Formats: sequence, C-alpha cells, structure tokens
Amino acid sequence: MPSLMILIPLFGVIILNLVFASNDKMKRAAFWFALALFISQIAVAIFHHPIFWNNSLKPLDSFFKVSFFVDHLSFIMFICIGMVSIASLFVAKYTITEEGGRFKFINLLILASLGMSGIIMVKDIFSLYVFMEITAVSSFLLIAYPKSLESLEGAFKYLILSAVATVLMLSAIGILLLASGGTSFFAIASGIAEARNSSLIVFAIGLFICGLFIKGGLVPFHGWLPDAYTAAPASVSVLLAGVVTKAAGIYTMIRIVTSLFPYNQPVNNVLMLVGTISIFVGAIVAIGQDNFKRMLAYSSISQMGYIILGLGTGTGLGIAGAVFHLFNHSVFKSLLFVNSAAVEKETGTCDMNKLGGISQKMPVTGATSVIAFLSTCGIPPLSGFWSKIIIVIALWQTSHYAYACLAVLASIITLAYFLSMQRRVFFGKLRSGLEGLKEADRGVLAVSIILAAITIGVGVFFPFFFNIFILPVKEILVR
Amino acid sequence: MNANSWQLFSTFGFFIILLFACGAYCLVVTRNMIRAIIGIELLIKAVTLLIILAGKITGRTSLAQGLVMTIIVIEVVIAATAAGIALWVFRHTDSLDVRSLRSLKG
Repeated sequence: MPSLMILIPLFGVIILNLVFASNDKMKRAAFWFALALFISQIAVAIFHHPIFWNNSLKPLDSFFKVSFFVDHLSFIMFICIGMVSIASLFVAKYTITEEGGRFKFINLLILASLGMSGIIMVKDIFSLYVFMEITAVSSFLLIAYPKSLESLEGAFKYLILSAVATVLMLSAIGILLLASGGTSFFAIASGIAEARNSSLIVFAIGLFICGLFIKGGLVPFHGWLPDAYTAAPASVSVLLAGVVTKAAGIYTMIRIVTSLFPYNQPVNNVLMLVGTISIFVGAIVAIGQDNFKRMLAYSSISQMGYIILGLGTGTGLGIAGAVFHLFNHSVFKSLLFVNSAAVEKETGTCDMNKLGGISQKMPVTGATSVIAFLSTCGIPPLSGFWSKIIIVIALWQTSHYAYACLAVLASIITLAYFLSMQRRVFFGKLRSGLEGLKEADRGVLAVSIILAAITIGVGVFFPFFFNIFILPVKEILVR
Repeated sequence: MNANSWQLFSTFGFFIILLFACGAYCLVVTRNMIRAIIGIELLIKAVTLLIILAGKITGRTSLAQGLVMTIIVIEVVIAATAAGIALWVFRHTDSLDVRSLRSLKG
C-alpha cells in the first residue's frame, strides 16, 4: 500500500482546507493531523512490514494510475522526512504565533513532504520530475511567505535556479526518451545499455547530473543555497537543510547513478571531484561567515560533498557510507537549525557579532548544539564519525588515497568553523543586553533533546543500526 | 533513424536550438524579473518541443502527449509562483529590477 503515503496527505490537505479552515479553533487540528501523519510515516518505515509495503490496493491504485516501489533506501529517506518534518512542525509552533500563518505553513509542509515521499517511491523518470516540482514549488512558497524583501529575494533566486535545473533535467528526459522510447527506469536503463557510447546519451547524462547538482546545491552550482537558507523563516530552514535538498538532489543522484546510468568511471570521477570541491569550498567559506544560519548553510554544502564523495566510489560500502552520512546529516543539521531558530527567536538576531555567552541562559540549546557540531566534525562516539570513516575506508579500498586524505583533512576545517561558532554564540561572557534571555519553549527543547539522543544513540549502537538499516542499501547496486 | 525522421529531426532541432538560445540569452542578459520569467518560459517551451519530437520519432505519441500536458500544467504553476514573488518585490521596492535584490551576500 505504498500509494497511501501519497494519497493520505493529499486528501488530508484538501479536507483541512475545505472543512477546517473556517475558524481558528478548527485550524489547530491541522497541527495534530500533521503530527500524526509524520509519526505514522516513521513507524511504518521503521518496521517496514511486508504486509503494508508489498500489498497494493488494486482499485485505488488503478483509479489514480499510480504505481510505486520501495526498498531499503526509501525507508531511510522516509524516516528522515518524517523526523525533520516533525522538528520543523514544532519550530513553527514556537516561532509562528499567528494562527492563520501557522495553518498555511502546515499545509505547505504536508505538500512538501508529500512531494518528497513521491520522489523516493517512483520508478519512472517523468514522475520523478513531477514530484520534484511539487516539492520545489512548496519550498518556494514556504521561503517567500513572510513576504519580507529578504525572503522574497531568497525565494526568487531559488526559483530561477531551480527552473534552470528543471529545464536541464527535462532536456535530458527528452533525449533519453528519444534514445530509449520510454520513461520508466527499466526502459531507460536498457536503452542506455544498448547505446552506451552514443554522444547524445553522454550529453543527456551530463545535463541530468548538472540539474541534480543545482538541486542539491553542490559547489559550482550552489549560488542559491545560502541565500535561501538564510532568508527562509526558521522552521523552513530546518526543513530545507534537513531533507528538501537531500531528497530532491542527493537521493535522486544516488538512485539515478546506481540504477539508471551505467555505473562507469567518468561519472564516478566527476562525482568525486565535485564532492571534494564542495567539501573544501563550503568549509572554507563557512569560516568567514558572521551569520549563524549562513554558516550552517555553507556547512551543509560541505557535508553534501561527503555524501557525493562516498557515492563516487561506486562500491557497496561507499554507497552505504553515503546513505548513512545522509541520515546522520539530516539529524544533526536539523538539530543545529532548530537551535539557531531558538537563538533567533529569543535574541532577535542571527548575527554572531551581537551574540555571546548565551549558553548560560539557554543551557539545553547550548549543550545539544555542542553534540551536533562534534558529530558533524566526526568526533568518535557520535554518529558523524562512523559515517565519515566508512566513506574514508571506501575511498581507501578503491585506492583513491588523495581523496581519502583530503576528506580527513576537511574535518579539521569543519572543527575550526564550528568551534568559532560555538565560542562566539554560546560560550564566553554573556553579552550585555542579553541578561533577560529565556530558554526556548518545551516543544522545541524536546525536539532538540530527541535529535541529540538520536545522534548519540546511533553512534553508540552503531553496529546494530548499521547492520539493520544501512547495509541492506547495498542491494540497489545488484540490480 | 531513417531519412524521413532524420529530416524531421533536423528541422525540429533547428527550432528547438533557436528557442533554447533565445531563452538562455533572455535569462542571462535581462535585469527585469518579468523578463527572467519569460526567459524560463521560453526554455521550457523548447524542451516541450523536444519531447514532442521524441514522441514522434519513437512512435510513442500518446506518451509524449501525456508528458507535454503535465509539463504545461507544472510550467503554469511555476510561472504563477514566480509572478507572485515579483509582484511582492514590486510592492516593496517599486521596481522590478533584480539589482534591487542585493541584501543577501557573503
């Protein structure tokens, strides 16, 4: 019944807007509906029971003309989407005070998560494009909805670059349709296998991968990402950094590269090169930032580089490491963005020059942020260490020694900018004017503590988690 | 590809590339938000033509029809969203110049 993952949110949004939009009291129900939706999504993905996933609801599926498939990679993405959406929901409850605005936000959030659920279940390159656009349009609206000039600017930049990415991907789809006569993954894969060295196909592969680089915000194409993350309202930044760019860019890249395009050396080399450039440029630019959220955005670019680097090795272990890092990154980066939301809401600014010593007044926010940044840098017992070391081992096994050394080296730069961030925002002497600071509300604190607990838990119980959830991902290579 | 479809391909190909070049030029040169949206529209039109051509040559016209209809719908959604954002920028700054969007840097 995978189609339920699309149909329930879709009809949920329609019913919410038809029935519950009438008065403020009813609008509150939207929050609980969204929360129940995301929790059930996580639950069915964690237990991945075949009764739910393998049976199809024949009349419903044939009526809506949908057919989906899921595998272990999809389950991990479902967990990420559900988790980050819940975090974003609680941050919205905390930062958006007006009931109508929150109702709009929740509707768009459900639509965005619907789009992402679609992206991770399709088996047809054109449906992939459709769901990607659903996600992208809801993200534009989410970024733009405070209607301040900054947020409009971020949204417009994202919109134009995303439209260019769409055009590139659609051209690739057109050329692949020309070459293989179909749009399903299977038809395209066999079409490519027949005409492997045709220059038209190589051109199409290049276009598609460029489009995905733009969507994922990797370095030569990253112009929109820091602006969109900084300008978006706090709750939207959590969502964008946590899953949107990952589902639309990185997940699609993993799926396309492994199951569609020939898994060959030139593609791998491009992926590893772009990954390494992203790691370094993201990390080095992050050192010079004064805005808390902007630094996190550049750090995000840098961590995306690790995922692409792992994917570029082309081995099962490399892909498992990439997926593991994707999961870990969506946990600790959304934790950092939740903390930045709390700081922004309580102090009214994200400028690190105006902050300082707020760990004394906001102990939980300060402590969870330490855990998140240590995990990002790859300090041993935490989850980020394991995913990074798996990527490095995979690079070493495929004898890419230079890339492995660079990946380790970049961790030091990561530590450098995060230590500077922690020092300027949370540690040190309390800046004058911030004496009356209060800790964030309980919902947000609960989210931070749970996300920090996941970071620690995944790190400590690493073998269990890795064997059950991540290693089965390797099987996408066999197909 | 036989001679007939090759002729079709080259004729269509010329116009696809022409539209693509127009759209890309428009997007690169202009400083007006509405013109940027028009540039995007031109690019998507070129791609739509490409998909029609692909459907014709491979003989899967019904598939291509479905795809083109979907693309048109999505394109309208994107254009409407972009126009909405441009409208709000105009209300803030009284101009449609993209150079007014320079507050985010670094």
